[in-house]
Amino acid sequence: MRVSTQQLQQQGVNAMLEQQALLGKTQLQVSTGRRILAPADDPSASAQVLGLMKEKEVTGRYQSNADAARARLSMEEQTLTGAGDVLQRIKELALQANNGTQNNATRGMLASEIRLRLDELLAMANSRDANGEYLFSGYQGLTQPFDRNAAGGFDYNGDEGQRYLQIGPARQVAVSDSGTEVFRAIRNGNGVFSTRENPVNTGSGVIDPGTVTGAFVPDNYTIAFTQTLPTAPITYSVTGAASGIVASGTYASGNSIAFGGAKVQIGGTPANGDTFTVTPSANQDIFTTVQNFIDALETPVTNPASQAHFNNAMSRVIGDLDNGLDNVLNVRATLGARINAIDAQKNINDGFNLQVQETLSSLQDLDYAEAVSRLNLQLTGLQAAQQSFAKIQGLSLFNFLR
Amino acid sequence: MAIGDALGVGVSGLLAAQRSLATAGQNIANVNTEGYSRQRTELVTRTPLYSGGGYIGTGVTQSTVKRLYDDFLTTQVRTSTGMYNQSENFYNLASRVDNMLADPQAGLTPSLQSFFSAVQGVATDPTSLAARQVLLAEAGTLTGRFRYLDQRLTDLRQGVNADIRSRITEINGLAQSIADVNKDIVLAPGRQSGQLPNDLLDKRDALLVKLSEQVAVTTVAQDDGSVNVFIGNGQSLVVGVRSQGLSPITNQFDATRVEVGYQAGTDIINISSQISGGKLGGAMEFRNQVLDNAQNVLGRIAVGVADNFNDQHRLGQDLNGALGGDFFSVPAMQVQPRLLNTGSGAVTAALADPNALTASDYRLTYDGGNVYSLLRLSDNQVTTINTGGAYPYTSAAVDGFALTITAGAAVNDSYLIKPTSQGAQTIGVAINDVKNIAVAAPIRSAAALANIGSARISSGVVNTLDPSLQNNVTIQFTSSGQFDVIDATNGTLATNVPYISGQAISFNGWTVNISGVAAAGDIFTIGTNTNGASDNRNGLLLGQLQAKYTLDGGSATYQDAYNQLVAEIGTRTNQADITRNAQKALQEQSIQARDAVSGVNLDEEAADMLRLQQAYQASAQVISISDGLFQALIGAIRR
Repeated sequence: MRVSTQQLQQQGVNAMLEQQALLGKTQLQVSTGRRILAPADDPSASAQVLGLMKEKEVTGRYQSNADAARARLSMEEQTLTGAGDVLQRIKELALQANNGTQNNATRGMLASEIRLRLDELLAMANSRDANGEYLFSGYQGLTQPFDRNAAGGFDYNGDEGQRYLQIGPARQVAVSDSGTEVFRAIRNGNGVFSTRENPVNTGSGVIDPGTVTGAFVPDNYTIAFTQTLPTAPITYSVTGAASGIVASGTYASGNSIAFGGAKVQIGGTPANGDTFTVTPSANQDIFTTVQNFIDALETPVTNPASQAHFNNAMSRVIGDLDNGLDNVLNVRATLGARINAIDAQKNINDGFNLQVQETLSSLQDLDYAEAVSRLNLQLTGLQAAQQSFAKIQGLSLFNFLR
Repeated sequence: MAIGDALGVGVSGLLAAQRSLATAGQNIANVNTEGYSRQRTELVTRTPLYSGGGYIGTGVTQSTVKRLYDDFLTTQVRTSTGMYNQSENFYNLASRVDNMLADPQAGLTPSLQSFFSAVQGVATDPTSLAARQVLLAEAGTLTGRFRYLDQRLTDLRQGVNADIRSRITEINGLAQSIADVNKDIVLAPGRQSGQLPNDLLDKRDALLVKLSEQVAVTTVAQDDGSVNVFIGNGQSLVVGVRSQGLSPITNQFDATRVEVGYQAGTDIINISSQISGGKLGGAMEFRNQVLDNAQNVLGRIAVGVADNFNDQHRLGQDLNGALGGDFFSVPAMQVQPRLLNTGSGAVTAALADPNALTASDYRLTYDGGNVYSLLRLSDNQVTTINTGGAYPYTSAAVDGFALTITAGAAVNDSYLIKPTSQGAQTIGVAINDVKNIAVAAPIRSAAALANIGSARISSGVVNTLDPSLQNNVTIQFTSSGQFDVIDATNGTLATNVPYISGQAISFNGWTVNISGVAAAGDIFTIGTNTNGASDNRNGLLLGQLQAKYTLDGGSATYQDAYNQLVAEIGTRTNQADITRNAQKALQEQSIQARDAVSGVNLDEEAADMLRLQQAYQASAQVISISDGLFQALIGAIRR
């Protein structure tokens, strides 16, 4: 075949240009470390890369959410540990106060310590995080959750909202607990019913918190004592507001009285007309419980009747404090469980991220060994093209026609 | 034999060698001339003289100067040049879009991701004004990125417009030149006797190749030596010695879109759809296949993000305690009436469901009798809309948008509807106060502290913006298995509803679940989320939009839709690259094949020159010898 001079030259130039283009691309690949320089190089892989990069970023976001969640829960846990310690101390003081060696003066001293402890507890319930948000006011993070009211009680200004954070594609974790959950939704009494003496009782009868023997029939029961003559036996009758008389009999100190799935023990000597009530447990906040304790300590004990009132009150307070402490500890336990769940999710996220990273790397990263050997090959190719071009261009018959 | 005969033969040889040498010289001189075909002086023996002893040769003469040329090969060069230039131009334009979309810094992915990350940031810390500020800034970045990408595409569109204009100018110039050369060829002397004006033919072939670089052409040779040139579906560009130019015209729907116009009789018609090949064809193909689609797909993502986010945002409550407003300003849909419409009817389009939107454009045509047909341009599917004569008429949603048509359209009036093309350009952030970001839910639920039962109530989900949404509602258990629902404003909503633990309870646009054991007298309340600054429920739902399949009929997330666009344009660019390389190889091959016949080889010419030099020297020798003979004869006579 004939070859024109121009064509020969053009072919040589084209060969060099092509080699240079390939070399340029390889060089760019080597210098950036990326196999795909533009989507056109590998369209489906590029789309996958974008998707995976998004996944990586999203997972990174989940990880920082998990860190934030962990920090918040740790803070709450610390606060609840503190609250638990305070309650523990108050309980110790309660046991101490219950000791028969105490007199009105020493009880007054105990009361003043417990006042401080109550303030401490209240401050903990009103604690804030680094952003100034109250930990225990539900959704109303900018509202102080607990206040003393004019009546000497405690108001809750928050709500029952619980905040969640997204720590995985399908995983949300609660990062807050409302004040109600931690400090207010605490069943008084034994959790099913609560026993209480009539404040005007004149005898020395003391009622225990009672035990549940079967299915408790919810009703407001009144245990009324009757002694017609000082020498006559003391009798009792148990009347439910809805159920009518459910039990009656002759009283003997320390004997159990059973009715409607409940069993209570009354010790001491109730006077004629003394009454005790057994009502279904209601929620009572921990501050009221502690306040009741203070009130009991500050009520002077002057006679057997007031001693009985004190004993009854202390029995209730110790039971309610136990309930409160249990509740705080329970919430703390769920915090621990949530923190564990966060850690587990973080591990899952890390694993996922690693996978994504590996896939991403296999899709877009350059195989350096292959690329460098390709670069060498292309360099050789370019050199060959240049040398052969120079050689061929040097050849001309005219050179020999001088 | 006469001595003079030898002299004459010698002289003819001398002249023939000279002529041939001159041709070789011409070849050498034009070795780098584009389109030059090598020439050869064709020699024939002169008519011999008859004598009794037979025919006596009288020397050599030049019959013609032949152009070494193959019509088929030249046509192939033209065809392959047209195809190569088309794919080259398409590739160059498409790769600009390609590089832009997947750019790790400039693409949509990073800003989409940062935006949703900021949403989660606010959900993590709903009271933090700083986190809200970041979200607002990221929203600005996201809308800015949409607009930036759209602007780049619009720039490319204007570039294509300018390209079409300049190509048309170039085509017209080339057509004029071809017509001029045609004229020269027709008028060239000697053509009748078979002597062709080789250099003019070469010039015309070169012009035709140049024209093929701009647009695909077909040629028909005429008897008078001219060629007629046609483009498209046979629109004549050059007829004989006359050329008819193209003109840039604007699209009848869209004044910003330049099309190729052709004068047919008194009308200028749009022949854009018939143009193929060459750089003009590449630019057209790019605009139709890549640019329109990219802009629409991008716009659809923008519309989807804006509308979905707004819908969820409106179900939330902001830091001031008010219900959320629009977070993004949702782009309006573009409707362009045809310039030639004679009626006065107006058409507007409004978004109905971003999930159902396609990336196609639509054409609405009035067929008369209150019947309109809506043509989806991507697949030519027609939806018929019958207004029934009541105007203004709002149609049912078609592909995610609804049309409102006013009276007054004339038959055959038509409107171009572009539901998504403006999306990326006009999306904006509608709020500017960080407190207006609605991260909280407008309702909250509570269980009364005095409840005896252990049942718990969920925090509640807002489904719709019911006017009674934030009314205080009490769910009151009349027994452990039944409850009443009482709205403090509207009275009792339901009584004696059987209680099933965990079952959804929906009123006033919200849904809550109560689970566990309830007791008679238990009370649960649902009401306004006053002071709910720390609530992030709506924020979590907003953040989850990122992973929701909310586009393309519920098959794609925002990122998926964008990835599809990147993959599609990547594939097209990749294909264009492969086609371009293949066409380049074909073009080179066809040029090689042509040059194998027509190209000048200097070595060949050198060898020819040697040969001709020798022939010249031999002929001179013949003259010299015949001179010697003549001298010998004169000398003999003088004696």
